[in-house]
Amino acid sequence: MTENEATVAAVDWEAYEREASAAVAAASGPTELEDARVGYLGRKSELAQALRGVRDRESGMLLNGIRERLEAAVTQRERTLEGEELDRRLREEIVDVTLPGERLPLGHLHPITQVRRIVEDAFLGLGYEIRDDREVETLEYNFDKLAFAPTHPARSPRDTFFFDESHVLRTETSPSQIHALEEHEPPIYMVSIGRVYRRDAITATRYPIFHQFEGLAVDEGITLADLKGTLLHVMRALYGPERRIRFRTHFFPFTEPSIEPDVSCGICDGAGCRTCKHTGWIEMGGAGVVDPQVFENVGVDPERWSGFAFGCGLERAAQLRHDIPDIRLLWEGDLRVLRQF
Amino acid sequence: MRVPLSWLREYVPIEVPLGELTERLSVASAEVEGVERIGVPEADGNLERFRVGRVLEAEKHPNADRLQLCRVDVGEGEPRQIVCGAWNFGPGATVAVALPGAVLPGGLELERREVRGELSDGMILAEDEVELGPDHAGIMVLADGPEPGTPLVEVLPLVDDVLLLEPTGNRPDLLAVYGVAREVAALFDMPLADVPGGQSSGHVPEGQVEVEVDDFEACPRYIGRLFENVRIEPSPLWLKSRLLVAGMRPIANVVDVTNYVMVALGNPLHAFDFETLHGGKIVVRRARKGEEMRTLDGVERRLEPEDLLIADTERAIALAGIMGGEETEIGASTTTVLLEAANFEPFTIFKTSERLRLRTEGSNRWEKGVDPYLAAPAAALATELLVELTGATWTAQSDVHADLPERPVVCYRPERADAVIGVATPVDDQHALLARLGFERGDDTVVVPTWRARDVTREIDVVEEIARFRLEEVPFTLPVRRAMFGTLTREQQLRRRIEDALVGLGFSETYTPSLRPDDETDWKLPEPIAVELTALRTSLLPSLVEAVRRNVDAGAEQIALFELARIYLSNGELPNERLHVAGVAPGGFARVKGVVQALYEVLKAGAQFERADHPLFHPGKTARTSAGIVGELNPRILDGEWGAFELDLESLFAESREPVAYEDVITYPAVRQDLAFVVPEQVEAGELVAAAREAAGPQLREVEIFDVYRGEQVGEGKKSIAFSVAFQSPERTLSDEDAAALRRQIADALGERFGAVLRTA
Repeated sequence: MTENEATVAAVDWEAYEREASAAVAAASGPTELEDARVGYLGRKSELAQALRGVRDRESGMLLNGIRERLEAAVTQRERTLEGEELDRRLREEIVDVTLPGERLPLGHLHPITQVRRIVEDAFLGLGYEIRDDREVETLEYNFDKLAFAPTHPARSPRDTFFFDESHVLRTETSPSQIHALEEHEPPIYMVSIGRVYRRDAITATRYPIFHQFEGLAVDEGITLADLKGTLLHVMRALYGPERRIRFRTHFFPFTEPSIEPDVSCGICDGAGCRTCKHTGWIEMGGAGVVDPQVFENVGVDPERWSGFAFGCGLERAAQLRHDIPDIRLLWEGDLRVLRQF
Repeated sequence: MRVPLSWLREYVPIEVPLGELTERLSVASAEVEGVERIGVPEADGNLERFRVGRVLEAEKHPNADRLQLCRVDVGEGEPRQIVCGAWNFGPGATVAVALPGAVLPGGLELERREVRGELSDGMILAEDEVELGPDHAGIMVLADGPEPGTPLVEVLPLVDDVLLLEPTGNRPDLLAVYGVAREVAALFDMPLADVPGGQSSGHVPEGQVEVEVDDFEACPRYIGRLFENVRIEPSPLWLKSRLLVAGMRPIANVVDVTNYVMVALGNPLHAFDFETLHGGKIVVRRARKGEEMRTLDGVERRLEPEDLLIADTERAIALAGIMGGEETEIGASTTTVLLEAANFEPFTIFKTSERLRLRTEGSNRWEKGVDPYLAAPAAALATELLVELTGATWTAQSDVHADLPERPVVCYRPERADAVIGVATPVDDQHALLARLGFERGDDTVVVPTWRARDVTREIDVVEEIARFRLEEVPFTLPVRRAMFGTLTREQQLRRRIEDALVGLGFSETYTPSLRPDDETDWKLPEPIAVELTALRTSLLPSLVEAVRRNVDAGAEQIALFELARIYLSNGELPNERLHVAGVAPGGFARVKGVVQALYEVLKAGAQFERADHPLFHPGKTARTSAGIVGELNPRILDGEWGAFELDLESLFAESREPVAYEDVITYPAVRQDLAFVVPEQVEAGELVAAAREAAGPQLREVEIFDVYRGEQVGEGKKSIAFSVAFQSPERTLSDEDAAALRRQIADALGERFGAVLRTA
């Protein structure tokens, strides 16, 4: 028996491994762990010394096995201790989460633009194209081709901005109907959105410049019922899925029958409140079945094609959606207002 | 149009709840804007405190010369003592009495109280105290008949509901109480009273009123009637109260009758003091050039040949359909009245009313079109009332007219209504509805009633009549589309991208008016509503700067605003309307240039900047790009350091290079280096970059300036510009030698062109 063989034999390796494992597991910090590692695995440890003298394969396997398992245990313990250390540190790094975040520059889209996009998206989903046309119009497009009677009050300079006897600032987006019908053969599904002008004094409810969206659908077999369904879809997109709509008879030069759509009041849900003037309904604009005269004015056969058209104000929609009491707030560019949306 | 319910019920026995009536009218006929409850408050049994009384005794108040002390029987057995300030009655008069505790329309509550030492246990009412008339000169003396103690509400209309109806321009027939009654009768399928005045037959005088109509186009019909021995007096209570409730001021019997007939039937009338007419003759003609007249409102009117006049043999006596003349006005001493019941063509009246900016109850009806057949019943009703109320004798008449228009006969296919409305209405039901509205059924046709003859002339107009009755039953469907586009155009998509990018960069969107006080343009409004809103703008920045200034004044912080809207350039027949985007934000040139670079970048476009001048901007800190202007605002425009830009969207979008093609920058890595060149001060960085790109070719993938240094190390009049460059080839990995060669090419080129010297570290 050599000296080394004697060393291997002299140690109860089972007990050594048990003892070492216990020491590693009990190490409560990096220093203790390092002491345990040096004691049981270090160069001067009994295990290291025995390994150096080992000659026979059997002893080598035994001792190397012990070494590998102990090394793994040390690594494992090291990770655990590091994890615990990190946990401890993180637990101490407490911030007051109610303190404000860094103020990054972020702007706001104007409420009219937001409403405009809702309208655009609702109609894109229905397969409509979006367009806009000129704001300075000829009387021909603003009135004549839309079949306005010679005595219609909108033809008066009291109601409309005239540049000269033949040019006006368009009073509604309806000339787009004529432009669209002149540009394409039906079928046509389009929405025109833009600024319009009326000679109103500036008050809380009126502004001489405002925005409208104007829809036109021309196809075979279009009915008033299709108008009702389409407006319901758009009103729900704007004001929520609970909204109902009703039609009231009305008169417009370029539609027949003409109606005004009302949407059920979102504040009181039809029970009656200040917003809806105690009627339960809110006026949304004008609409109707395209008058055959308009088709004739642009050379479309009214016996074959039928259609509907409608126009609503974007300011009104923005005011209703956001409960904005005064239309002037939409035109003043006051950041105290704009930053709310 | 104010429609008193009590008046309406004279023609149609409508008893449905008020809410149902207004809802049905609003949906199918004309919007009811509201219902006004007028008269004596009804709460807490208040009406019971208003009674019919009979004056038993009336004598002077012992302590006051101007007061009467009365004993009035109000049906209680024991009469009440009431002090009264009026003297227009005596014992035996039937009067209206309010008892203590009664609340008057104004809210005043009566009390039992002593007046100059005598108890007054109630009040004898004057008409104004219960809103039945304007007078306070005396108390109301009622017709004998009702017993003392009878509730006053059974005798006088103390309470009424007034429908505030807003008929659309195509329904002038609803500008009359009888017309509304006809509509209500149709809506609720109820009987309708005969046209008031229509039944009066009786004697027609032989005498002729001399009427000459020069222009039957403008005046298709003129009925003139002469009344003699007219007594001008206040109208009776019922008439005054009806006019008041309908929103008109009672004046005296003759004028009140003309107004009453207008409100009842919708045909405006006029009355002349016949004795003031020269030549005793009516001539309906156009004005002569330079002719003038003074209208009832005391204004001297200069007339034009397009104006239609009522004249006598010498001069204008009324602006036809709009307003009478002052010289022929009915006055207290008038004894002979010429009544006009005419029909005028709308456009003529509209043009004159428009030019003179003179709108009256009459012109409002004429310009919408009054049924020419209505003149006859209107004349009849007025005649009946004038004879009854003024004691006059109808002595002469005349009815001058051209051929009155036939009732329109319209081809009608009932299936067309179903196709348009989207809900089926059986043929017989359709004809039943139409019959209720006064339409007659023919073979494949319908005959339109005279009062709708202007509005209903085509099949589609008849369809509308069916549709408005069925609006509530129309289902919700969507078109069966055969063509769908449903995408935003490229411009619309890029517009949204610009809006979103600016919001991400901290800009808030604002809207400002398209009209400015002073822009240089051909497009100026000759009659603006305010000088601030005169000219179509040619730039967005001035309004935007004003918005920023308002925010500064309001104490806002981090002000950054943008607007995306049109500008309008003079361009011949119509302006060239172009979408622009403009922004204003705090900070210097570099910051706002960064914003513009970012906008180009979100569009996948490269921006080129060159020095520019602009009146709003700092002369040394302004650049132009392919789409517009960017720079620091001149501090005279806005105090402080502000950056601003305005870009034309079409030009900007033209730069957008999409879709972007992939470049391989992964396979062969880039060689990155920093290069610094010393150049004379006047050399601009952009020139160096352009020259470097030209010299090195496509293998110079990136070049960015990261520092500009001036100081002792580079010497006077010079600056050092540091670039970070990346050399890269898509075909192979560039070696250090390759990079050195490229660097040399750049250095040589810059040295040659700008005298640039490459600094070595």
